[in-house]
Amino acid sequence: MCYLIVGNCAAGINAVEGIRKLDTNSKITVISDENSPVYCRSLITDYVAGTRKKEDILYREKDFYEKNKVDLILGETVKGIDVSKKEVILQKGNSLSYNKLLIASGASSKPLRIKGEEKYGVFGFRTLHDAEEIIKTGEKTGKAVVFGGGLIGLKAAYALKKRGLDVLVIVKSSRLLSRTVNAEAAGILGNWFKENGISIRTGIGPQEFSGNGEIEEVLLDNGEKISVKLVIVGKGVMPNISLVKDSPVKTHWGIITDEFLQTNVEGVFAAGDVAETTDMVTGTGAVNALWTAACEQGRIAGMNMVRKDKKYPGSIGANSADFFGLPFMSVGYAGEIKEGYEELTGSNNPKEYSYKRIVLKGNRLVGFTTINKIENAGVYTALIRNKADISSIRDILPEDYFDYPKVKDLLKGKEGFRESISPQGEIIRIA
Amino acid sequence: MDKTKERSIDKTTQDMLQRAKEMNIPTAWDRLESMLPQCGFGQLGICCRNCEMGPCKINPFSVKEQTGICGASADTIVARNFIRMIAGGAAAHSDHGRDIIHAFMLAAQGKTDAYGIKDEVKLKVLAREYKVKIDGRENNEIAAELADKFFLEFGRQYGEMNPPRRAPEKRVKLWRKLGIIPRGVDREIVETMHRTVMGVDNDYKNILMHGFRTALADGWGGSMIATDLSDVLFKSPEPITAKSNLGVLSRDEVNVVVHGHEPTLSDVVVDAVRSPEMIALAKKKGAKGINLVGMCCTSSEILMRHGIPVAGNFLQQELAILTGAVDLMMVDVQCIMPALSGVASAFHTKLVTTSPKNKAPGVTHVEFKAEKAYEIAKEIVKMAIENFPNRNGNGIHIPDKSEDLVAGFTAENIYNFLGGAYRATYRPLNDAIIQGRIRGLAGVVGCNNPKIKHNYGHIEMAKELIKNDVLVVVTGCSAIADSEAGLLQPEAAVKYAGKGLREICEAVGIPPILHVGSCVDNSRILIALTNVIREGGLGEDISDLPVAGAAPEWMSEKAVSIASYFIASGVLTVLGSPFQILGSKKVTNFLCNEAEDIVGGKFVFEGDPVKAAHIMIDHIDKKRKALKLKPMMYR
Amino acid sequence: MIACAVEQSSTGELFKAISETPLPVSLIEVTTAKEGESFPLQCRHCEEPYCIDACIAGAIRKDPETGLVLSDEEKCVGCWMCVMTCPFGVIRVSLLPDKKGKIAVKCDLCQDRKIPACVEACYTGALLFGEVEDLIRAVNKSKEDRDVLLNSR
Repeated sequence: MCYLIVGNCAAGINAVEGIRKLDTNSKITVISDENSPVYCRSLITDYVAGTRKKEDILYREKDFYEKNKVDLILGETVKGIDVSKKEVILQKGNSLSYNKLLIASGASSKPLRIKGEEKYGVFGFRTLHDAEEIIKTGEKTGKAVVFGGGLIGLKAAYALKKRGLDVLVIVKSSRLLSRTVNAEAAGILGNWFKENGISIRTGIGPQEFSGNGEIEEVLLDNGEKISVKLVIVGKGVMPNISLVKDSPVKTHWGIITDEFLQTNVEGVFAAGDVAETTDMVTGTGAVNALWTAACEQGRIAGMNMVRKDKKYPGSIGANSADFFGLPFMSVGYAGEIKEGYEELTGSNNPKEYSYKRIVLKGNRLVGFTTINKIENAGVYTALIRNKADISSIRDILPEDYFDYPKVKDLLKGKEGFRESISPQGEIIRIA
Repeated sequence: MDKTKERSIDKTTQDMLQRAKEMNIPTAWDRLESMLPQCGFGQLGICCRNCEMGPCKINPFSVKEQTGICGASADTIVARNFIRMIAGGAAAHSDHGRDIIHAFMLAAQGKTDAYGIKDEVKLKVLAREYKVKIDGRENNEIAAELADKFFLEFGRQYGEMNPPRRAPEKRVKLWRKLGIIPRGVDREIVETMHRTVMGVDNDYKNILMHGFRTALADGWGGSMIATDLSDVLFKSPEPITAKSNLGVLSRDEVNVVVHGHEPTLSDVVVDAVRSPEMIALAKKKGAKGINLVGMCCTSSEILMRHGIPVAGNFLQQELAILTGAVDLMMVDVQCIMPALSGVASAFHTKLVTTSPKNKAPGVTHVEFKAEKAYEIAKEIVKMAIENFPNRNGNGIHIPDKSEDLVAGFTAENIYNFLGGAYRATYRPLNDAIIQGRIRGLAGVVGCNNPKIKHNYGHIEMAKELIKNDVLVVVTGCSAIADSEAGLLQPEAAVKYAGKGLREICEAVGIPPILHVGSCVDNSRILIALTNVIREGGLGEDISDLPVAGAAPEWMSEKAVSIASYFIASGVLTVLGSPFQILGSKKVTNFLCNEAEDIVGGKFVFEGDPVKAAHIMIDHIDKKRKALKLKPMMYR
Repeated sequence: MIACAVEQSSTGELFKAISETPLPVSLIEVTTAKEGESFPLQCRHCEEPYCIDACIAGAIRKDPETGLVLSDEEKCVGCWMCVMTCPFGVIRVSLLPDKKGKIAVKCDLCQDRKIPACVEACYTGALLFGEVEDLIRAVNKSKEDRDVLLNSR
């Protein structure tokens, strides 16, 4: 047996561990177009902010590959797949054969598709390479402009501010996080950013970047010009699906997967930011490009590559971050109330940046936002994941004293709920 | 032997603990281990079970401020619990005092077979203080009127109690100003219970100030009355020699141990065991005689007045029975471990309860009545004698060690000692302090506690203090601890005392550590301090004096009351383990800091007795400096 | 709860722990399920822990030998992903000394102790510690027999 994994990040690494849980001997090859050993992509915020050094953002120890008997090929781009020959074709023209293939090629920053975007000084906020260039450029200038009011944009803005730069966030829509949370939560977070010295402007987008090789000026769509040497584009990501373009592997938003994370082609799996899975909240296909999801998918896909019997319960849009000491979380659907939805709020205190909001659809919890009050948030996530009927505990849901024991009967034994006792000893309760 | 060595520094105790282990009989130390870890909420005083909405507990690690269901903060809960402990301690000491008045009254009325007025001088001193007519009246008449007046101190509803007015004038004025001069013993204790009921006082300072008032009603009230009338009834102590530690138990005599606190019955037992009738009976049963020994504060009462040997202190009560040589242990009230009956059941030892307030399941009860105390005492001694033949000869293990001691010091007789019989005065003591021969005075008192190595706290602290020329006065279990280490001998001054203190001790012939009695006799220390002020040259208030107090091994609620009346009287008091108040930073700060500016004294918690001694020494030096006294004579 | 916080403190002594800055955080909480039913809530050391999938810093790992789910506090960046995904809500937030920020902390089943502090402190025998098979056998036994079986006190 020979396993081939395209991609050396969250999904790829967890796939290696998933395979090795069940198969300790067969050959595993990991191929990646990046040149560095696996690092925590989400930690580039901390790297840029200066709170973590480069050597401290490694995801696994350096001997990971050796220990797991992995052949690692770095700096090689996969161009395509020949599923009939069971081979992947590399940029250089040569090919690698496989018995089981995992596509974990990830995603890339979405481009703005405007003039001058290629100029030096305009960066995404995704790779270690991005981070290093941002740091280098940041040292030469005291000012940065961030386009995008989503979580990526906010993380970039936070990191640059922490680094000591003047930061201006420019958002095309009328407010921050328009696709993630409701206006109230966005307002609280916006105020917090402003209090921490970050300027935010809304309803404006970029039109053109100009400069001689390096960016010098941004032209906005309201005609205004801003001179700046560092621009971050935080407009979300798109799955890297080009490698399957000429193959029978089906794609939609991303590479379509079944409940075992296998594509429509037997023996070819997909996981991570490239994979389209069933969203637990909406029940439809979605690419939830999240580190957490990638880890879980990678592990399950890896195990299924050995023995196809582990179901993936589906993904969920969930994000968590800490901005200037203020924790923020948003899980599932936490946008404005639509028809058929309702919201519950606890004792919120927006002035003290303390907020909790729960979104219900019928008797199901479908999303929540918390600012500052994050303890027990995982219990809400579990309720969403379990599609639990919360009618019996509805009243206490947003309360500060809400916790797991109040819902233990609702979660017990539900599919996707992975409670178990460690064989090595765990405290259990005896009634 | 390793564990037993950690448990006590006293060799005799270690020896007996080893025996307990071999016989598989658990002691307080073993029970402590089975209690560990102890409840953190309880230790911090933040558990409230004063009503049935609760129990409530405050999480000491919560970042958010928590309250109980009624809204009581940690400060309120801690303060309430604390003053309830004071009330418990004050009630115990004072009820003891009440029993003494009762015996005193019956003696005056001629209604007892045992008691009479044995100290006429002190009777008249008290009568004068209480404005009872003396001239032309019999002692009994005076005593009868005085008894009523003393009873009134307990039931007084308004005004001021009399004994607290014995304090230096400045102190009395301060108490008045603060509104904490006690009205009546019972009233203050009842009010403590009232204030701490759900939904009453929730200003922790207001609660604690009443705690002081309740404690003062003990130290300057119930306890002081107990001491005074015990002196009148059973005579005022005079310095007396005796022996102490478990080695005082006898192999061939009937061993009677009296354990507890009150002298009313035990003092009469002294007469009973000395009666020819009883001695003859003992001999008939094969014993060489009757050996009466004491345990805990009862022991101190009859030691001070009759030189009765001391078998041991609080943690040695089970060990005494473990010798297998105790034919009868008679107990009255307080500090009597309920565990005793279990230990006694493993031996021939007869345990006898005597107070209607303290019975134990399955234990023989011979109820004490002051009217026929002698008859009852004889009955109990007879039970002991009759039990002597039941001893198991091989099962007896009496440690051979006992120490000589001198006890019997009082606030009054220190006059005679220091000044000589012809010029009874505190002058020499004051002068010795002023000239820097003696650094100051320290009272080291209180219990034993298995959390602290038995006797270690008392002995190490006392040694360190006398080494630094501090004259130490001791009571209760602390005094017994020192006696077991041979510190209550005049020779101890040569061995352990600093040069200045040694000179005084040698000149006068006293030990560097003076045993002034049982725990109610801590009131003697208050009076002695007052006398020092009256003598002049060392300030106007107790809080001016170069003195400090300590309870290095405290455990009882009584110690909480004692420590509280000492700080409320202006004395810095060091405790070997913290009070159960640390759950409130405000209460802790109030009692360990702010109180000094209000009442002149404060608590300090320090587990290391040597460090604690130096806290006291530093405090004494601070006071010396404030009084502009001469530097110490010998550096 | 208190025993746990003391265990997490730097002094390890109750009387000092309550005054430490930052305050130590208890990793076990006793809360209620239904009215009157106490429920001790602490890390389950799951077989497939959500928190490990969620940890973007690679700080939380499962010890291959003991099965314990352990967090390397040095690596934690305080992103709260683990808090967001733990279905039991047992991952807590702790301040770092000198106010350097906050990190997520979780129960490590008192690795350095023979018996976890919470089990040792539990007076009613509601918390037991031992191998699963022994625990299951212990359920129907008296408290004394359980202690012997589990060698826990």
